[in-house]
Amino acid sequence: MTDEWEELLCFEVPSQAGMERRVMERVAESARGLLSPEIIERLKTAVSEGALNAIEHGNHFREDLLVEVNVLVSSRVLRVTITDQGGDQELPKAPVPDIEAKLSGLETPRGWGLFLIRNMVDEVQMTGDGQRHTLLLDFYRER
Amino acid sequence: MSVNVLEAHVRTMQGLACIDLMGEISAQAEDVLNRVYEEAVSANPGTILLNFTGVEYINSTGIALILNLLVKAGRSHRKLYSYGLSDHYREIFRITRLSDFMRIFSDENAAMAAV
Repeated sequence: MTDEWEELLCFEVPSQAGMERRVMERVAESARGLLSPEIIERLKTAVSEGALNAIEHGNHFREDLLVEVNVLVSSRVLRVTITDQGGDQELPKAPVPDIEAKLSGLETPRGWGLFLIRNMVDEVQMTGDGQRHTLLLDFYRER
Repeated sequence: MSVNVLEAHVRTMQGLACIDLMGEISAQAEDVLNRVYEEAVSANPGTILLNFTGVEYINSTGIALILNLLVKAGRSHRKLYSYGLSDHYREIFRITRLSDFMRIFSDENAAMAAV
């Protein structure tokens, strides 16, 4: 069975704080009608966290570095890719946050981003080619 | 790009302070949350109620900021309750296990009845 991809959206944003909201809204708008409202909410959280990671950890808030966002759709999947210029940085393992440790001060209260992403999507992959670092988020269209 | 900053107001009742939150809870909300929390505890309430009805967006940093409020409340032996979360953010609070440490109610009346 062939499953061709159609590109719905492709755009770039500068690595400024707050841009993750713009990315989230544009991607959610493109996905409306293709995913259920509940899945759109999950997509919004995953995409905003992915964009925030790209802006903050990939491009270190350097406004001259762009974050590239693509939205693709097939008959089965809506796929969002978020690419930064993070280069060869090691991909984080994203351990499950330990809320008891956080509440008792043994862990930083932060560190929820990748955990949220993993819990919001059907599949997630991270790839790097030495210069660019891409987060790929898949949402199944049928459940 | 404009950021929808958090607005917050405190209402005090008998033994209770309710913090009405409006806008988004992200890194930019830290100062507002800290200020309003201090205002809420100034009346020495046993319970602090967070009203999320007007909150449209919470990100991972916002989760950390809410967790900080839980830490502060726990240190001063206060209860921290919440209400008004959308179904999506209720799910986020369940996944992150914030809801294991903060009772979540559907509305203010239900929360008040539990105080």
